[in-house]
Amino acid sequence: MRGAGSLDETWRRALYAFAAAVLLFALGAVVRPGFVRPDSILAVLTVAVFVGLVAAGQTFVILIGGIDLSVPWVLNAAAILLATSSGGSDARAFSALLLTLGMGAAVGAVNGLGIAFLGVPAVVMTLAMNGIMEGLTLGLSGGMTCASCASYAPPAIQALAHGVFLFLPTALWLWLAVIAIVSFILGATVFGRATYAIGTNLRASELAGLRVRATIIGLYALSGLAAALAGIMLVGFGGQASLGMGEPFLFQSIAAVVIGGASILGGRGHYLGSVAGAICLVALISVLLAMNMAEYGRSIIYGVIILVLLLLYGRESRES
Amino acid sequence: MSAAPSLEAITASKAYGGVQALDNASFSALPGEVHALVGENGAGKSTLIKVLGGRVRPDSGTIRIDGAKVVHGGPNDAHLLGCWTVFQELTLLPWMSVAENLLLRREPRNALGLTSPRRLVAAAGRVLEKFGITEIDPRALIEDLPLAARQVIEIVRALSHEPRILLLDEPTSALMERETAWLFAQIRRLRATGTTIVFTSHRWHEVETIADRITVFRGGRDVGSFTTLAEEEAVTLMTGQRVETFYPPLPAAPSARADAMLSVADLAGGRLAGVSFTLHQGEILGVGGLAGHGHRELFLMLFGAERPHAGRILLRGREVRLRSPRGAIRNGIALVPEDRKTEGLLLPLSVRDNLTLAVLDRLSRFGVIGRAAERAQAARLMARLAVRAPNAAIPVGTLSGGNQQKVLLGRWLLADCPILLFYDVTRGVDVATKHEIYELMMELARSGSAILFYSSDALELAHLAHRVLVLREGRIAAELPALDLTAEQIVAAAMRERLAA
Repeated sequence: MRGAGSLDETWRRALYAFAAAVLLFALGAVVRPGFVRPDSILAVLTVAVFVGLVAAGQTFVILIGGIDLSVPWVLNAAAILLATSSGGSDARAFSALLLTLGMGAAVGAVNGLGIAFLGVPAVVMTLAMNGIMEGLTLGLSGGMTCASCASYAPPAIQALAHGVFLFLPTALWLWLAVIAIVSFILGATVFGRATYAIGTNLRASELAGLRVRATIIGLYALSGLAAALAGIMLVGFGGQASLGMGEPFLFQSIAAVVIGGASILGGRGHYLGSVAGAICLVALISVLLAMNMAEYGRSIIYGVIILVLLLLYGRESRES
Repeated sequence: MSAAPSLEAITASKAYGGVQALDNASFSALPGEVHALVGENGAGKSTLIKVLGGRVRPDSGTIRIDGAKVVHGGPNDAHLLGCWTVFQELTLLPWMSVAENLLLRREPRNALGLTSPRRLVAAAGRVLEKFGITEIDPRALIEDLPLAARQVIEIVRALSHEPRILLLDEPTSALMERETAWLFAQIRRLRATGTTIVFTSHRWHEVETIADRITVFRGGRDVGSFTTLAEEEAVTLMTGQRVETFYPPLPAAPSARADAMLSVADLAGGRLAGVSFTLHQGEILGVGGLAGHGHRELFLMLFGAERPHAGRILLRGREVRLRSPRGAIRNGIALVPEDRKTEGLLLPLSVRDNLTLAVLDRLSRFGVIGRAAERAQAARLMARLAVRAPNAAIPVGTLSGGNQQKVLLGRWLLADCPILLFYDVTRGVDVATKHEIYELMMELARSGSAILFYSSDALELAHLAHRVLVLREGRIAAELPALDLTAEQIVAAAMRERLAA
C-alpha cells in the first residue's frame, strides 16, 4: 500500500523500538555474557508478555487520546477472582476464566460509559475506577484473608503460563495470537477505522456518522479485558494472587505504548509498536538488573526515557 | 513607482513533503499600497504570507523589509519590524475571553505588576472602540462567538499593534458584507498612513474594490503583477485556461406539486427562534443572511447534531426525531459542515479513508472492511470529482482546499443521501473548483436530490438557488424567488432594509 520511501511515521517509530530492543540485547550481552542465549531471550520475552497484554488495552484507549489508569486493580482483581472462583480446580477453570474476563470487560465498559455518556475525563474516570476496584478487592477478600484467597490458580492455567509448545513458551503463543487479533481489529475492521478516526477528530467522526460512543465503550471494555487476561496469566505464572501485583503494570503499559510510537494525543499508532515497546522495556529492566542497578536508579531511568521520547516525538509531529 | 519597496520576497521557495508550495516566487509591495495576492488554492499565496510573516522559514530565497535582508526566526521577529499577520487559520485561544486574547502578553498592569480582569476588560473595550467595534463584548469567550466575530477580533488584534506592514490571509472568507466593509475602511485608513497591506481573497469584487496592485500566483510562482486587471484575465492567469460562463444554468424549478423531501415546522433552539419551510425534490433552496443568525443551528439540527428545543422535522411527510448524525444519515441526510478542517475531514488520514468513512457499514461484512470494494469506490469517486491527488493513500490534509472539499463532497455522494445540507460549501475554495462544485450541485438537483444551501456569498445564492430564505435573528426575514434575484436584495433583507422590489 505504501512505498518504502513514504513509510508511515508511526511504523517508523515502531521499527525504532524494535531496533532499540535489539540494541538492548546486544548491550546485555556486553554486560553479561549469556544474556543473549536463546533461553534467556525467551525468559525476557515471557516477562514482556504480561506488559504486552496490558499494553494492548492501553494502545486501544490511547489511540483515541484516552488512557486507562484502572489497569492495576482490574488486573489484581482478575488474578484474585480467578484463583478464588476456581478454587484451584481444573473442573472450574473454564467458568472461572470466563467470569474473570467478563469482569474485566464489564469494568472497562463502565469506564467507557462514564467517559462517553457522562463526559468524565478519562484520567478522572479510570483513576476513580482504580480506587473503586482496589476497595472492592480489599473489602471482598477481607484483605486477602478469605478462605479461598489462598487458592492456587488451576493447574491448567498454570500450565498455560509455564508450558512450552513447539519450542516456544505457551505464553508467547498466546501473545502472538493477541498481536494478530489486535492488529486485525485495528487494521481491518470498521471498529478499528472508527478508533483512528475518533482519535484524530471526535467531532468530525461524529458528523461522519460513526458510532462514536459505542466505539469508546468498546475500547475501554477491551482495555479491561486485556488487563484481566494479564491478571489471569500472572496468577497462572506465579501460582497465587497477591495484593499490589498490578501496580507495576500501569507505568509499564503506558511506557510500552509511548516507546512504541503511538501518539499520546490519539489517532496514530500501532499495536506492533507497543509490542516492541514492551520488549524494549523488559529488556532494559533486565539489562539494568544485570548491571546490578538499584531499584531507585531504574525508576529514574524509566521516567527519563518516557520524557525524552515524548519530547522527541512531540516535536516531530509539530513540525510535520 | 519611485518609492522603494517596503516588503520583498526574492526567489523564495518552500516545499512541504513532496509538494512545492513556493517555487522561486518573487513579490514586492510598496509603502501605502494595498496589494492583493490572487490564485487558486495551492497556488502558494498562503505559504508566501507565512514566509513573509515569519511563520514559516523558506527553503531558499530572501526576504527584505525596507530593503534590508531579514531572517525571521519566528513571528515575533517579524513583529519587532512592525510586520503583523492575520493568518487564515484562526489563532485565538477559544476558551479565553476577547479581552484576554486581544491583550495577550501586554495586559495592563498596576504598580505591583499585576493585572485585574476589570482593567483588562476596560482596556480591551477601548481597543475595540478605537477600531469601531461596538457589538462584541470584551468579556465574551471566543468559543461562544460566531466565526465572523472571531475573525474580526483576529484582525483587531493585528491592527492594535499599529503595523507598518499588515498581511491578511483570506480575511474576508469568514466575514459578511458589513464586516467586510468595516475591514476595507480600516485598510483605507492604514493605507493613508503609509502602511503596506498585503491580502488574499477568492472574491474578485473585493480585489477590484480595494487593491492598488494585484499579483497573480499559479503553481507556487508569481505569474504577473498588475495595477488593473479584468476578472476574466485574472481567472485565465490563475487557472492557465479560460473559464466559460461562471455560474452554470439552474435546472427548472420543481413544480409546486413536487414531492416534499424535508419539511420543518417552527424549529427553534439556540439562536434559531422558529423557522418553517419545505424543501422539495430537485430543489436548491438557498439560505442567506448575516453570520450568527441561526444558520449554523438550523443545519446542525437537521443533521441530528444539535437538539431543537421546539418544532418538528418531517421527512417525506413523516415526522422524525434525529438523535444523532448517524440517524440523520440513515434517513438520507448529509451535511457538509462549516469548517471542513475541524468538522469535516480527518486531515492526517488518507483520502480513501476520508471518502469511505460514512459508508463503511456498506463496504464491510461482519465488521471487516472489504478492501477491494473500498478501493474501487474511492477510485470511482476520485475520478468522478477529478480529485487532484497523487494517490488515494496520501493524507487528505496535504491536498489543496478545493480538493479537500471535493473529498468531503465525495463522501456524501458515496453515501447516496438524497437530502444534502451544504453549509458554505465553496468557502476558501479556488475558482476552478467552485465551478466544478456548482456543476455538481446542478447535476444532483437534476437527478432528484434536494439541496439546502447556505452561503456567505450572496452572489452565489442569487445564481444557484431556486429561492432564498433570509434568516435574521433566528427567523425567516424574507423568502425571495430566484427570478431576477440579486445579491443586493439578499443582503438588504439580511440587514433589515426596505426592499425596493
